[in-house]
Amino acid sequence: MKIPAKKLLLMFSCVFSISLFAQAEVDDPVSLVIKTTSSIFTKLDQNNEKYASDPAALQALVRTDLIPLLDVHYLARLTLGRAGRGIEKEKVDAFAEIMINLLVIRYSKGLLQFRGNEQVMVLPQRGELNEKLTRVRTRVKLPRGGEARIDYAFHKTADGWKAFDVIVEGISYVATYRNQIMPDVQANGIDSVIARLREGELELVH
Amino acid sequence: MRNRLPIIIAVLLSLLLSACAGTQNRHTDPENDPWEGFNRKVYAFNDELDKVVRPVALGYDKIMPDPFQRGVGNFFRNLDAPVTFINQILQGKAAQSADTFGRFLINSTIGLLGFFDVASRLGIPFYNEDLGQTLAKWGYADSRYLMLPFFGPSTLRDSIGLYTDSYYHPVGIYTREQGQWWPVVARGIDQRARFLDQDAELEQAYDPYVLLRDVWLQNRLYQIYDGDPPLADYDLYLEEDLPEPDSDRGE
Repeated sequence: MKIPAKKLLLMFSCVFSISLFAQAEVDDPVSLVIKTTSSIFTKLDQNNEKYASDPAALQALVRTDLIPLLDVHYLARLTLGRAGRGIEKEKVDAFAEIMINLLVIRYSKGLLQFRGNEQVMVLPQRGELNEKLTRVRTRVKLPRGGEARIDYAFHKTADGWKAFDVIVEGISYVATYRNQIMPDVQANGIDSVIARLREGELELVH
Repeated sequence: MRNRLPIIIAVLLSLLLSACAGTQNRHTDPENDPWEGFNRKVYAFNDELDKVVRPVALGYDKIMPDPFQRGVGNFFRNLDAPVTFINQILQGKAAQSADTFGRFLINSTIGLLGFFDVASRLGIPFYNEDLGQTLAKWGYADSRYLMLPFFGPSTLRDSIGLYTDSYYHPVGIYTREQGQWWPVVARGIDQRARFLDQDAELEQAYDPYVLLRDVWLQNRLYQIYDGDPPLADYDLYLEEDLPEPDSDRGE
């Protein structure tokens, strides 16, 4: 009956420790997660003060290192659901772009909270790789003690493996966001939603 | 106080049920939340209640030093151990129940009535089980969402579990025997203080009621599956349509 007080943010924790298992492909989902977290947190540790004092710089880091790993267009389609079917591609792309911006802002805020001696453990691949849906499991040690489980849903695209959902303690970003966005789009139209998200976006930056 | 409680609950329920007739007939999730109309009323009630509770929790969070707050959290979490232990036995988790027993013993004694979580420092794993989870494992897998006054989100199954568990939960036992509600209230403040960070998120949502329901139900599934719930059927997300908004199906 209890909801742990874990945020609904996408969290990549800092310096990771992991028991590496030899992977056949270097760009399989598990390796990608390991590489990305390692890269981000190495840079964070090296330029600690710069990123703490300059949110824009941190967001730029997130944009270059994290976003390429996401299949944002698919994420947008999942979030819009059937409400997205009648909508022109440009608008879905515009919506996807806003999602990227929101994700970048949230990641950055989340990252700031997890610097330090926390650890992320990326668990080895369980079972066969499934190109439609492969799950990468990670465990993150929290600053106040205890552990959070964060899973990523990957699928294989023409550009390689991409993540399209993050599940924090069982709570799926896509599932939750979807139930907010879909009714809003159905009731108010995609233009209204995009406009309001953009406004909200500007607030979130500060 | 003990005698007035049933009357208070009866009045409350009658108010909620009467308010149900007529107004909004939203069905955002008929499968998991057929009682949405009722649940939304209770949610609104809890929201009003929160206007009183939140400032108290805020005050507690701001005034009390962090170590003290952690101690309080540890204290209440330790009191959950008996319920967890019993339900682990019911689920056939003998080895894990031994961990829970050990945790309770160590934290209650060396950890000074549970204020210090010595067991975690010693590396004994923490588990969380209750009768709702046990019932789910025994086959009562799907249960409709039920918003409880004061207690917040639940399901029909989990409410039954919560009520039954209260008979062997130290706080429940104390409340019944002494007729004193302050441990429940204290625990409520502790819990509320934990979620202060999420307040903004909920307020900014398009539909806070749905957001809370989604988050709670998904996390509950996570608890039932002991941290390894199945993934969603993403194909369904592309195909699925929402039920018609504002359909008049009647309560």
